[in-house]
Amino acid sequence: MSYRSYVGLEIHIQLATRTKVFCGCRAAFGDEPNTNICPVCTGYPGALPALNEEAIRKSYVVARALNCLLSPLCEFERKNYFYPDLPKNYQISQFASPLGRDGFLDLEFRKRRKRVRIRECHLEEDAGKMIHAGDQSLLDFNRAGTPLLEIVTEPDLEIGEEAEHLLQEFRRIVRHLGVCDGNMEEGSLRCDANVSVNVDGAGLGTKVEIKNMNSFRFVRKALDYEIDRQQDILERGGTIVQETRLWNENRDVSESMRVKESSNDYRYFPEPDLPPFRTDDAFLASVEASLVELPAERTARFVSQYGLQAAQAQFLCEERGIADFFEAAVAAGAQPSDAAVWLMGDVQKLLNRTGATLTESPLTPERLAKLLVLLGSGRIHGKLAKQTLEAVFTDDKDPDHIIAERGWEQITDPGAIGKIVDAVLAEQHEAVAQIRGGDDRPHGYLVGQVMRATSGRADPRLVQQVLGERLSLQFIQVLSFGGAISGTRRDDGVVVPGSLESLTRSLRDDPALPAGIRYDELDLGGFLSEEVTPRDWALLIRAIARHVAVGDTSGIVIATGTDTLSYTAALLSWLFGASLPIVLTASATTGDTAESRDNLRHAVQAAMNRTPGVTVVFGSRRYPAVNLKFERVTGESAETAFRTWNPGGVPEPGVGLWTNLQGATGSREPSQPGADLPDVEMLTERLEGAARRIFVAKVFPGMPAGALIALIDAGIRYFVLELYDTGTASVRETPFSLRHALEYAHQHDVTFFCTSQQEADVDFSTYVTSHDLWRGGAIPMGKLTTESVYARLLAILLTGAAGDGSDPKAVARMMESG
Amino acid sequence: MSASKTTGWHHLLETSADDYAEALRARDAAINGFLEIDTDRRRTPGGVSPPDDAPPDGAGPLAGLPLAVKDNIAVRAFQLSCASRILANHVAPYDATVVARLVAAGMVPVGKTNLDEFGMGSATEHSIAGPTNNPWDTDRVAGGSSGGSAAAVASGMVPLALGTDTGGSVRQPAAFCGIYGLKPTYGTLSRYGLVAYASSLEVAGLLSRELGMVRAAYEAASGVDSMDQTSVGLPDAQARPAAAVQRVAFLGGELGLDERTAQAYRRMREVAVGAGLTVEEVELATADAMMPAYYTIAAAEASANLARFNGVRYGERPIFAENPEALVRHARTEGFGAEVKLRVLLGTYVLRSGFQEQYYQRAQRVRTAIRRELASVFANHDLLILPVYPTVAFRHGETDLTAFQQKLADRFTTLANLTALPALSVPAGVYDGLPVGIQAMGPAFSEERLMRFAELVAAELPPERPPAYGVPLCDEIGSGGGA
Repeated sequence: MSYRSYVGLEIHIQLATRTKVFCGCRAAFGDEPNTNICPVCTGYPGALPALNEEAIRKSYVVARALNCLLSPLCEFERKNYFYPDLPKNYQISQFASPLGRDGFLDLEFRKRRKRVRIRECHLEEDAGKMIHAGDQSLLDFNRAGTPLLEIVTEPDLEIGEEAEHLLQEFRRIVRHLGVCDGNMEEGSLRCDANVSVNVDGAGLGTKVEIKNMNSFRFVRKALDYEIDRQQDILERGGTIVQETRLWNENRDVSESMRVKESSNDYRYFPEPDLPPFRTDDAFLASVEASLVELPAERTARFVSQYGLQAAQAQFLCEERGIADFFEAAVAAGAQPSDAAVWLMGDVQKLLNRTGATLTESPLTPERLAKLLVLLGSGRIHGKLAKQTLEAVFTDDKDPDHIIAERGWEQITDPGAIGKIVDAVLAEQHEAVAQIRGGDDRPHGYLVGQVMRATSGRADPRLVQQVLGERLSLQFIQVLSFGGAISGTRRDDGVVVPGSLESLTRSLRDDPALPAGIRYDELDLGGFLSEEVTPRDWALLIRAIARHVAVGDTSGIVIATGTDTLSYTAALLSWLFGASLPIVLTASATTGDTAESRDNLRHAVQAAMNRTPGVTVVFGSRRYPAVNLKFERVTGESAETAFRTWNPGGVPEPGVGLWTNLQGATGSREPSQPGADLPDVEMLTERLEGAARRIFVAKVFPGMPAGALIALIDAGIRYFVLELYDTGTASVRETPFSLRHALEYAHQHDVTFFCTSQQEADVDFSTYVTSHDLWRGGAIPMGKLTTESVYARLLAILLTGAAGDGSDPKAVARMMESG
Repeated sequence: MSASKTTGWHHLLETSADDYAEALRARDAAINGFLEIDTDRRRTPGGVSPPDDAPPDGAGPLAGLPLAVKDNIAVRAFQLSCASRILANHVAPYDATVVARLVAAGMVPVGKTNLDEFGMGSATEHSIAGPTNNPWDTDRVAGGSSGGSAAAVASGMVPLALGTDTGGSVRQPAAFCGIYGLKPTYGTLSRYGLVAYASSLEVAGLLSRELGMVRAAYEAASGVDSMDQTSVGLPDAQARPAAAVQRVAFLGGELGLDERTAQAYRRMREVAVGAGLTVEEVELATADAMMPAYYTIAAAEASANLARFNGVRYGERPIFAENPEALVRHARTEGFGAEVKLRVLLGTYVLRSGFQEQYYQRAQRVRTAIRRELASVFANHDLLILPVYPTVAFRHGETDLTAFQQKLADRFTTLANLTALPALSVPAGVYDGLPVGIQAMGPAFSEERLMRFAELVAAELPPERPPAYGVPLCDEIGSGGGA
């Protein structure tokens, strides 16, 4: 039997008005009890309410933003019930004619677009607070009479996560509109829900109201709990009791508060003390004037207008202040993508460290723009740009002022650098001789000497270039990372791991490659591709990260094996994005073959062209690093061994998640780039920790759910699940389907990231079984392959891009933003 | 009325406040019109002095005049008991707007007057302080619910008193006591500071023996108040109904009046004809539906308005309660009188979900019908003249009228409350020792027209003083004589 759940929300927001809704008292949170009170808001005999126009205008602004029909006549009613914290023992509210009705909010959740209908918006007054202390009950009326806007949705939501998503989108909207700070913990945003479950196709079931959900997370958990509870009852042939239940956040269960029979009759009738409020043209014009571009529209515009990635646009548009800051910085001359990267990365880190908010920090959009222009024009390099940013925070001065004051301006004059390089080369006879003799090892040392001579102010790329010119060399780092390409074939025909030495030697003599390329070779271990461990990856990542930080190479070539090439390539791409040209290659045969030499040569050529980003070269073809599939094992036709799946779904290389880890070790010495890199042990530990929590599984007929449950019990928290088609799998009531595993996973906060066994776009939109998966909390990964998804998960957990990885929701958000 | 008769009040408080207080208490002993008397509280430094914009003593028609205020209207530093146990000892922290405006015009509150608990009654007998007696015959009631105010004025204790009129509570006691009682157009006197009974029906009202004083006080106290969004400003003089009276309609049909009232009503008609007015008779088709509609609406609003009295923030409450709910229950059970409980329960009943169509909404439709009918009356007539009450002041208890008959007898006064229109109770002579008041009603904002009509009546039937209280206190206090 297939079930369907229906969830509707009742959202209350405290409108951010200077005064209360019916009197002149300050509407403020956190003041001494009973200091913001007067005869009106404490219901003294004879006191009358007087409507605050700011509250009514803000209410209409929200209703308008939610696409509601606006009532031309706003009438109030009395809702009668006795409660000690309600001064008049009736609440002035709206019932028969709410100020807004029949609106909607468009949502996109897990690749599913939905229009959630808004039934109504109405304005009312808040109650005071009752605190029980020992044998006393205390009352604080500061909150009594603060304006409260209630938004009621139709039961168009289906699961807890979706409701949480709506609530967060709603929070963004009201914050953008400046009508509420949306703080659930402090109660300025509150949410009750009604939930019903019924057999699919049979319409709404018996409604249960859920209260006391005091955070976004509790909303999700309470609703999922309630849906499961009702479905269990129905499956056992029981009936649902219409009731109100309270979420108990300590026990993770809901508890019955009252059943329908004893519910209140509120005896609504028109409020005789307030004449109906009529919306005239001037008022409606002021409502329109208060409307701002909403976060969803703005996010879309940021992508189309500024060419930002969806995740960047989302981050910026989370807060109106940040989005405004970004646009102001762009207007002041910053490159949009740079501004986005800096705001998300270094600026955010500094804000976290100082505890300031962007709008009240010393950083202004003009200062950020100036900094980025200085960086873009090469007047300072990246490391100093970061330090300049910190100095802006500490000194509250303009970046150019700081740079001039501290003598940080970068040396970008090739002539000046040339002089310094010449001076260094003149001193370092030995190293020069060594390099001219074909040993490239002292190269990094020479770069370091030049940097030291300029106190770190020389543009490292220019140093590289000038040094290369002086020595007539271009530096390409070749990393040997296992695989047959560096292996040899034993006499018995079996391939065994080896080293790359002979190959790179052959490169030096390769007439097809320009003279003057110098290969710095680093052997990261002799193993076959299929033997790769997290520790191997840690070594590789550390080596690349060092080059990225130091800037002593113009490109990196990685020779590895075919079996795990798709994983390694995707992992490096997610981590390093478009920082350096990084080219992976492999060969189907051992290193002594022509194939190996050809592939390596092609890879070097690709690395020389200076286009940053991770790519794969195999045979004569070049592939993006993400969505690479190892499809065929062929000796002769290398062209068909690999193929890119869903080429349209491959994301452009971005900043790379690695930036999340930068500075994690705390060293801030400017003259030694790369000094603050995490060490291999830490990387290994993190990768192993991540790997212990991830499992890749593929659905197949007869898949035993019990096995997945056992994996969850064994500590697996994230599954990359290969489904059929656009995301289908069996969820029939049988032990040989995903059903029980999904339920178990949901209870244990385990997440399924879903890919396809075919070259498909997983979006759960086509089949009924997909809908069950969607309801079960599985996350569709769209056009990404299993390898790419697994690699992304590893990269996120490694870099802490979603915190320490213990919050599956944060991880899921990062996964979806890829 | 000649001005000389009122000048005695102007400097009384300035010269003889203590004597006055003493005389007030003495005279009130037989009347029981006051719940609290203090001639000094708003004059001494410890009390609250008049606002800066008050005219200097002696300036303006109201300057220095003592003011009695019904005890359901807030006067800062005075009690605000509503004659209810639940508000016993409650002191108002602020002034009602009407009080503040009269104080600004120079008046001095000297006491709070007796009433039916929360204004619910027609005889000032439902009071924790006991009944107020009629100055014309202390065996009889002073009317209600503003009985204390009416008796205080009629017995010459104060020149002017404030009352509230929800269904006739100013006009009926004024009629019983032989003075003027104005129930103005809804909204022209702010309700801020009036303890609400039935918000959409009630207004503050003015009681005095002197028409000029009613006029001056109405001018001083009326106008828009930001604290009461149902308040309205008076339209410009040109936009207001003309003050001149030409055509008057007398309510006809079977009115059920007692002999003295019928006699006064006839006399009033003779006066009108004698003054050269065109007199016609009208009947109201909505008359029978009026009382059920009135009590439905009044009780419904009362059930919510009185919900705030729960013993939590002010007023009387039990010393101990198991929990907040029990505290509220006990406070209300012990704090409210029987008549209040009756109306709150009735209001709760008519507002139940599922029954609103049958009661509350039906009552509102009746109200609309009555408004329309009155509008058509005033399309053809300047005024509608009708009795205030079917009888003269009745004897205490239910000797003459049962509680139910008393409610039905409100049928002439509730008309003005249901329609929000102004009405003035005009003294129409004394018959066999008891005064009778007849009511003049007009279209919205026609207060001046009502007073012109009253002047016309006064020329023939000037208000009289009760035999036992022929001399007002200001004249009785030797040193207080100003003129």
